[in-house]
Amino acid sequence: MKIFSAAALFVALIIGGLQSVTALERGGVMSYGRYTDSMFLDPVLNDANVDIWIMGNIYDTLIVPTDDGKGLKPGLATDWSVSPAGDVVTLKLREGVSFSDGSAMTASDVVWSFNRAKNPDNGIWYFLLASVDTVVATDSSTIQLNLKYSDPTILAALSVFNAAVMPQKLFEAMEGKTDAEKAQNFGKNPIGTGPFMLESWDRGSVMKLVKNPHYWGVGEDGQPLPYLDGVTFEVIPDDATRILKLQSGGLDGAEFIPFARVNELDADPEINMELYPGTRVNNVILNVRPELNGVENPLSDELVRQAMNYATNKQALIQVVTYGVGTPMSSFMASATPMHSGDSPLFPYDLEKAKSLLAESAYPDGFSSNILIIAGNQDGVAVATALQQMWGAIGIDLEIKQVDNASRTEQYRNGTFTMRTGGWTNDIADPSQISSYYAYSPTIDAVHSGWKSDEVDELFEASQQEMDLGKRAAQFARIQEIFNASGPTIPTYETPYPVALRDVVHGFHQIPLGNNVFREVWLDK
Amino acid sequence: MTGVVIPSVLRSLRGLPNSLVVGGTILLLSVFVGIFPSLFAPYDPNAFDYNELLSGPSLQHPMGTDNFGRDVLSRVTHAYKIDMQIAFFATVVPFIFGTTIGALVGYSGGIAEVLFGRVVDAVITFPFLVLVIAIVSVLGPGLVNMYIAVGVVGWVFYARIIAAEIKVQKRLDYADAGRAMGYTHIRIIFFHLLPNSITPALVYWMTDMALCILLGASLGYLGLGAQPPTAEWGVLIADGKNFMVTAWWISVFPGLAIVLTGLGFSLVGDGLAELLRSKR
Amino acid sequence: MQLIRFIFYRILHLIPTLLFILIVVFVLVRLLPGDPASAILGDRALDADVERINRELGLDRSMAIQFLAFLKSVLTGNLGDSIHLKVPVMELIQKRLPVTIMLTIMASSIAVFVAVPLAFVAALWRGKAGDIAVRGVFQVGLSMPVFYLGLILLTVFGARLGWFPVGGYGDGFLDNLYHLFLPAVVLAFSLSAILMRNLRSAIIEVLDAEYVQFAKGKGIGPGMVLIRHVLRNALISTVALFGLSIGTLLSGAVITESVFAIPGAGRLMVESIYGRDYPVVQGMTISLAVLVSLTFLLTDLVQAWLDPRVG
Repeated sequence: MKIFSAAALFVALIIGGLQSVTALERGGVMSYGRYTDSMFLDPVLNDANVDIWIMGNIYDTLIVPTDDGKGLKPGLATDWSVSPAGDVVTLKLREGVSFSDGSAMTASDVVWSFNRAKNPDNGIWYFLLASVDTVVATDSSTIQLNLKYSDPTILAALSVFNAAVMPQKLFEAMEGKTDAEKAQNFGKNPIGTGPFMLESWDRGSVMKLVKNPHYWGVGEDGQPLPYLDGVTFEVIPDDATRILKLQSGGLDGAEFIPFARVNELDADPEINMELYPGTRVNNVILNVRPELNGVENPLSDELVRQAMNYATNKQALIQVVTYGVGTPMSSFMASATPMHSGDSPLFPYDLEKAKSLLAESAYPDGFSSNILIIAGNQDGVAVATALQQMWGAIGIDLEIKQVDNASRTEQYRNGTFTMRTGGWTNDIADPSQISSYYAYSPTIDAVHSGWKSDEVDELFEASQQEMDLGKRAAQFARIQEIFNASGPTIPTYETPYPVALRDVVHGFHQIPLGNNVFREVWLDK
Repeated sequence: MTGVVIPSVLRSLRGLPNSLVVGGTILLLSVFVGIFPSLFAPYDPNAFDYNELLSGPSLQHPMGTDNFGRDVLSRVTHAYKIDMQIAFFATVVPFIFGTTIGALVGYSGGIAEVLFGRVVDAVITFPFLVLVIAIVSVLGPGLVNMYIAVGVVGWVFYARIIAAEIKVQKRLDYADAGRAMGYTHIRIIFFHLLPNSITPALVYWMTDMALCILLGASLGYLGLGAQPPTAEWGVLIADGKNFMVTAWWISVFPGLAIVLTGLGFSLVGDGLAELLRSKR
Repeated sequence: MQLIRFIFYRILHLIPTLLFILIVVFVLVRLLPGDPASAILGDRALDADVERINRELGLDRSMAIQFLAFLKSVLTGNLGDSIHLKVPVMELIQKRLPVTIMLTIMASSIAVFVAVPLAFVAALWRGKAGDIAVRGVFQVGLSMPVFYLGLILLTVFGARLGWFPVGGYGDGFLDNLYHLFLPAVVLAFSLSAILMRNLRSAIIEVLDAEYVQFAKGKGIGPGMVLIRHVLRNALISTVALFGLSIGTLLSGAVITESVFAIPGAGRLMVESIYGRDYPVVQGMTISLAVLVSLTFLLTDLVQAWLDPRVG
């Protein structure tokens, strides 16, 4: 009997303990430190990650990416199907959804939003919906997309931010003659179906979101989401200050923690140093045109590129630049990308092989070169300085030039740069986006490098309409094989999203595509 | 021979103000280190050491190592060369040019003064750091372009100071006396008025040198100053920003170098002022 | 009457200066490599999109035409809209400029409050312990890069001791001042060091000058000598320097604003340059130019008051 009651007591204590640790609490405002402010909160006309990554808290899409970023789950649509020919998509809309002003979301709002998003005159994201011919509401809760051709990426495209649903009547009631003018006015007080709505915005300083009282989502306790009363974004550009504020309790979370500080924050008992898996790849992009500024370009020689690749000690870079946080790349696209192929790190460090490859090339005595990095970016400086040393060992004299983003982008787009640090984060859970920029030459000359492979171009075009998953995966496998072996980039490492959270924060995550999800966050009191 | 030279040098040094001697010694030593950094640097300042990343001050590395394992002492010593260059080249042209223009304008008054006022206003009211960033963005990163950017604006400070002083001086009795004696204006300006007016400009020059080294630090923070792997105190301090607590030595030692060198400039400035005052 | 004419002429002279600055900034910012569209689109930029967006912004027209269009809108009081933030430039200026002004006023006040008395201490006890101590402390303050000093103050007084907030601007006037104190101290450090050195040097000069000896000889007490003659004359060049420094502060506090997360004009300016947000850069520059010119007018008036021989 005694054992029995002792056991019961023990179990009760454990359950009681667990309750106090994991019991969901509602209320409170979470403060989150960002490195820079958003610019324009319109799903279609925005330009940058700083807007994309938080817009999902104000607006919803029909389909939502799963937390691991690889799959899809219901958003404003509860069910969907694609015709066997792949050219008609039918979606069932969720019932009883309202916008944050209380007005009901209707099928015509969805139709209007999609037409606006796919219009090539509006913004830069229309290409994601390029395959859509017409959008029709077949009844009050069913949407039908008629495609011009079979598009294997269409479902993933519907989960991207620009396919968010906006209130047609409210938007069109805004002052202004053009879509841009109306969007500007609408953006002062955006109305969406998301878990939060904008309360106030002091540019460059503080953005306050409050809970949407009409949100359709429901929490674990059966009550409406979100658990939080609001989210306050504070803009703190200096990394050290942002971390300091977090450590002193002034912030509940802080994004973009420099890798150098990750171990330090990890050791802090009051802070959870999260490394959310991302789709971020880092690399060096080489201009491989035969001539640069009228002079023969050593980087056009494939042997030279391979030599540079073997001379790059990726493990050392991961150690000194990312402090062990990064991982080696096994393909030019992130391993979290669907249809990524490659299971061993590309070009493992081999100095002797590098030297012998260079000796066989047209530049056995080495050459001088330069690399463009973003001014003041510590990671860029670290990578470039390390590469300076590593390539110096095979006779390549590297000059580092720090320039501002706009200057580098201009040289990049003109194809007049020699080398630059580069990187990519997927906006869509599909390999087509990164492949179109990196490997498929008609888009931007393979990241403006001048590289071209006819086989890759053909494979890519075929993959854009291939509905059979197996065949499509094989196409992308071959594209990766070719690009990884002879492409114009030197892969360095993949990195996660380093976000530091106080241990009172639960339920936050950043998905691989970058979106910050506050929907299910709750705070310990 | 040396038995005669050294005591006589020391004797004339005794006549100089203390601050000038102490400051001058500091600066001369700094210049010496800048010319022969390898004498004082135990390692190659750019050599990585993967086994000694972020290690604290020790016998092998008296000032510790940075995030690449590079020896901080070696980097600080090699930075002497770059920073002394910055102090000089970023300020000497503005000083000479600004003082000359300021003296001419302050003396002439009238139209020259009005025009000068407009130019000065236009240059100064244009946000300085922003202008530097813009010029460096157009010309490209690096120290030479930094000198150009600083020079375009820097001369104005000297000119304004000198112009104000000359205006006061030219109405004093000895200026009238000079004119009465038939000296040319140029002679009056540069041989009589300027020596009496130049003290604030000289003092400012010394401060300016220290400020330019610090400007190098600001630009290093923004990435627009000396480019890697060049060791420059400001860049070294900026590099250590993320390690203020975990590896304080990366920023502190270059900081001490700046303090010491700045002290040298200050003392020389004060000493020069005293010397010129006593000569008058 | 003399005064009013002086002020009137100064304001009149302001107009060509402002026009000149406007032209320079207009051209300079368009000389910078890149353009607004590709600055923001970055690596995602597709040529067709960039060209279309730049066309919509009117950036494909010749510079002269663009300038005339801008001039026309300025004369009607419209500084245009920010390309990236899509809000009127005037609105941004009205929000951000006062912050920088407050910061500058606080920093200058602290600097003067500290520098003037200590300059007298250093000058009067020239060469002795007091002088060396004062100059030593200021030397260290002058030698610290702004971001480093800022981070140290934030760590010690913000994070560890909790006496001050860790960056940010706060809500409400008093809260704002509270948040601005530490950054003002950082800016005041180098400003007061410069002022102190200059003032000390000027005081010593005046003390040694003959007319002061003469006044002493006439039996005027040392205190009166100090106030009446020394202060007046010593301040002249220092006031000139002060005016210049304020001008620098108004626009040069970028790094301080960055480290302390202050939503000021300097940060907006730099971010707009990096983003090639032409309307903001233009509008901001003109506003700062007007502000700085008014500051100079003020310091010139003070100078003229101090030395009736000038002006």
